[in-house]
Amino acid sequence: MLLMFVVWLVVFIGIFRGWRWVPLLALANLAYTLLVLRIHMTDPIPLNF
Amino acid sequence: MTTSQATSPASRWSMAPDRAVLLSRLINIAALLGLIGVLAGSLHLQFGAGEQPCPLCIVQRSGMIGLAVGPIMNLLWGMKARHYALSILAAVAGGAGSTRQILLHIADPNDPGYGPEVFGWHLYTWALVTFVIAIVGCALLIMWQAPFEAGDRGVLRDAGPMRPIVTGLVVWLSLVVVIWVTIDLAVIGLSVIPECGLGECPDDPENTNSLGNLGGWFAVLAVGVVAAVIAAIIERRWKAREASS
Repeated sequence: MLLMFVVWLVVFIGIFRGWRWVPLLALANLAYTLLVLRIHMTDPIPLNF
Repeated sequence: MTTSQATSPASRWSMAPDRAVLLSRLINIAALLGLIGVLAGSLHLQFGAGEQPCPLCIVQRSGMIGLAVGPIMNLLWGMKARHYALSILAAVAGGAGSTRQILLHIADPNDPGYGPEVFGWHLYTWALVTFVIAIVGCALLIMWQAPFEAGDRGVLRDAGPMRPIVTGLVVWLSLVVVIWVTIDLAVIGLSVIPECGLGECPDDPENTNSLGNLGGWFAVLAVGVVAAVIAAIIERRWKAREASS
């Protein structure tokens, strides 16, 4: 789970260094964030999210 | 210029390109400062007040940091609509976590919610408000074409007075994240693993209602001072390299 924040640090460094693939890395990290959210849906709620 | 061009609606309301870029940069800097404040608040709660974040809280923190990527790219690389689009997507991801946490607690009328309240709302509710404001704000800024048409190359290429300020803010945000990850790895070994083992922690942990002291805030401000020093060193190196080239 902390990997998300390590990747954000890589994104910040990449922005300074001008790495053009950084936006793709950011998008991948957001997808990973949503995956972490899905994995942690451990409690059922009536709306069945 | 013809008479019709001089009195056209577009020319009456348009802003000079350099002023549009300056105003847009100030808006992005203000957004970055706001996000640093939000993350500082969450770190204060964690280390100043001793409240460990739940997994959903961590997802929302990731969304907040992702929200900062758009303004950072705008400031360092130049104003582009796709940078705002990245922030909108980060707000959607973080907002999904906030929405999940709100739904968990409003589904049961007897549920007191999780964590402390600020002006009557829990932090995950304020997080959702922040994400929604970010989405609306980014959408409005995308509609404002002047900064995109000004040919802004970003402060990395335009060595003006804003470059060390922007560098300092990004370094401040990065240091806050680095310090949090480092300390949290130590905390995980001491508290999370005994609580959750090597499996998943429950996304709806027990309620905690304590509020802490100002120590966490001072720590974040101290990190800001360190970030300013680092930014000044980086700026001096850049200027030396530009002078020699």
